[in-house]
Amino acid sequence: MKASRVWIFAVVAVLGLLLLAPASEAGKGFDDKEVRVGQFGPLTGPAAPWGAVLRGSALRFQLVNDEGGIHGRKIKYFMRDDQYNPAQTVTVIKELVENQDIFAIVGGVAGAGSIAAKDYLTKNKIIWIGPTASARELVFPQTPYLFCLTPLYEDEASIMTKYLVETAKMKKIALMYQNDSYGQAGLAGMRQRLAKYKMKAVAEIPVEPTERDLASHIMKIKNAGPEAVILWVAPTTAVISLKTAATIGFKPQWAGGTPLADYPMMHKISGGLWEGVINTSYVEPPDSSLPVVVKYREAQKKYMPEERWGLFFMGGLLVADPLIDALKKAGKKLSLEAVLKQLNSAKNYKTIGPTINWSKNQHQGVDSAMIWKCGPGGKTMVMQGWTQNELATWKKK
Amino acid sequence: MIGQLIIEGLAIGACYGLFAIAVVIIYKTSEVVNFAQGEMAMLSTFIAFHILNYYHYPFWLAFILTMAFAILLGVLIEFLFLRPAKHPSLLGLIVITLGAEMLLMGLAGWKWGAEQKEFVVPMSYQVTHEPFQGMIINDWAIAVFVTSALVMVLLFLFFKYTKLGIAMRATQQNKHAAKIMGIRVERVFSIAWGFSSLIGTIAAMFFASRSTLDPGFMLEPFLRAFAAAVLGGLMSIPGVFIGGELLGLIENFFGYVWPEWKPIVAFAVIVLVLCFRPSGLFAKHYVKKV
Repeated sequence: MKASRVWIFAVVAVLGLLLLAPASEAGKGFDDKEVRVGQFGPLTGPAAPWGAVLRGSALRFQLVNDEGGIHGRKIKYFMRDDQYNPAQTVTVIKELVENQDIFAIVGGVAGAGSIAAKDYLTKNKIIWIGPTASARELVFPQTPYLFCLTPLYEDEASIMTKYLVETAKMKKIALMYQNDSYGQAGLAGMRQRLAKYKMKAVAEIPVEPTERDLASHIMKIKNAGPEAVILWVAPTTAVISLKTAATIGFKPQWAGGTPLADYPMMHKISGGLWEGVINTSYVEPPDSSLPVVVKYREAQKKYMPEERWGLFFMGGLLVADPLIDALKKAGKKLSLEAVLKQLNSAKNYKTIGPTINWSKNQHQGVDSAMIWKCGPGGKTMVMQGWTQNELATWKKK
Repeated sequence: MIGQLIIEGLAIGACYGLFAIAVVIIYKTSEVVNFAQGEMAMLSTFIAFHILNYYHYPFWLAFILTMAFAILLGVLIEFLFLRPAKHPSLLGLIVITLGAEMLLMGLAGWKWGAEQKEFVVPMSYQVTHEPFQGMIINDWAIAVFVTSALVMVLLFLFFKYTKLGIAMRATQQNKHAAKIMGIRVERVFSIAWGFSSLIGTIAAMFFASRSTLDPGFMLEPFLRAFAAAVLGGLMSIPGVFIGGELLGLIENFFGYVWPEWKPIVAFAVIVLVLCFRPSGLFAKHYVKKV
């Protein structure tokens, strides 16, 4: 009796292991019929609006597959929900690598989660293009497999400060920044730019992302008398800041980065207070007449009419483009090395974002952002085209 | 500047105080800290949002319907989640409220999504008055002060002069004796949950109109309100309200001078009060006789 139980246990265990094992040819991430690509991000939970990035990439891969795929191979795309929780990010990435045998990751909407995943993906030689967290510690030290296509937060802040001082002719700048690596990068970028003009911010106020009462922060900034206030915070904090300022009659020129540039949303949740706010952005305006933007916009209407055509959705298309391009150029004889070779030689590559330049020694491919202004009803107004941060420290390496 | 800090501190403090009262009403009757308090208020505020934006009812009608929903929600949670627990320990009941919190948050996320929404009340923060030079007060803050005062007076009258209020106090003091005296203790618990949910929802509507409405928007105010309740004394309704006001003032002055330390003030207050005056500043020290 005991022996038969042991046998049953052994058979169940072996079957279980077989079921858990990767279903496809291990370790390559592709075969003759498909290339497996993954992405992670918050599809549910408090940060779910950013999950539009994942669906934007889905649309891009659907377009490629409808056109017949790439050299006979279709893109098999896996979306995984990490709820913007770094612990879950690592879990879902392991599942993508070990169970789904992915070839590459595009995008990836996470902050600390992305940084936690970097070493694991490098160790497993997974190509990773366009993590949306534009943090310095994600890009540097450089790995052979990670390619960035958004400007660093510090570059965005530097470009915004340049616009405020040189174009808007403002001399008194204040900053309210989230007390984490995102906010600190904004602070570094603003300081870098102001130092060039031998200026200093009139106020630099840190704020925790969970804070719901910002009266003391805003009053401190108001008393410093700034002409412009740069917000390097999350959307909710930004809205509370503007509402609080409205209660005490404080009306500076507000400014922010790409995370606050989803104008229809920001205009709506701020009750219209967002009108007049200026932002940096690393995608073309949603209503752009560039042929590639028009093509994607029409595809969204056709394939995903329930989605809102906006900044985050466009971000998903943006991060998928370079992989598709590299797969095409790599030819029918696909390999990790062939795709890396193509990515490492990307020169002046551009679709719906800034121009990308990657080389073997430089995987931070972007140093530019646009300047937008929120118009009536959340309409996007382009104030300044693609602007480089000529002070970017990483370029001097 | 100081005057403005006082106004802002008192206004947000009144919101903390109001929400802390909601926490304390349940704690007073059943000694349970309801961790689902914030999410109950959040869900009811979403109901108000839904009525206003999808049915386009006038605000005051939406407000009345929401209050009815809030009471029902409180009663239902007590009836469906807490009452079925067989011989529950206090810790067990608290864990049940944590489960209810997650359930309600998931429900709101599923129904309305995680994207932030604007919640508008007629008393706008954008309509400002300057009674004295440099002291600006807005309609939202005035509404918070008036509502808080009204709630305090009504609660005082309710607990002092109504049969139900006296029954609730009796249940809090001695559940078994109250039962012997013919008080239907379970019903009192349900009503306390309903009341608490109603007051919490009023506070949540004020919070939502000054920030944004999303499934997680009451997490932080709940922690602040809990700190206010500990500061004032978990057994004293006027005490917790004053605790809320004190917390609002302390946070605003502290936040003005050292913004980076502002988030920890509430928790430092909890620790200090628990060390030096465990019953809170305004509650009578409770000694259990053996």
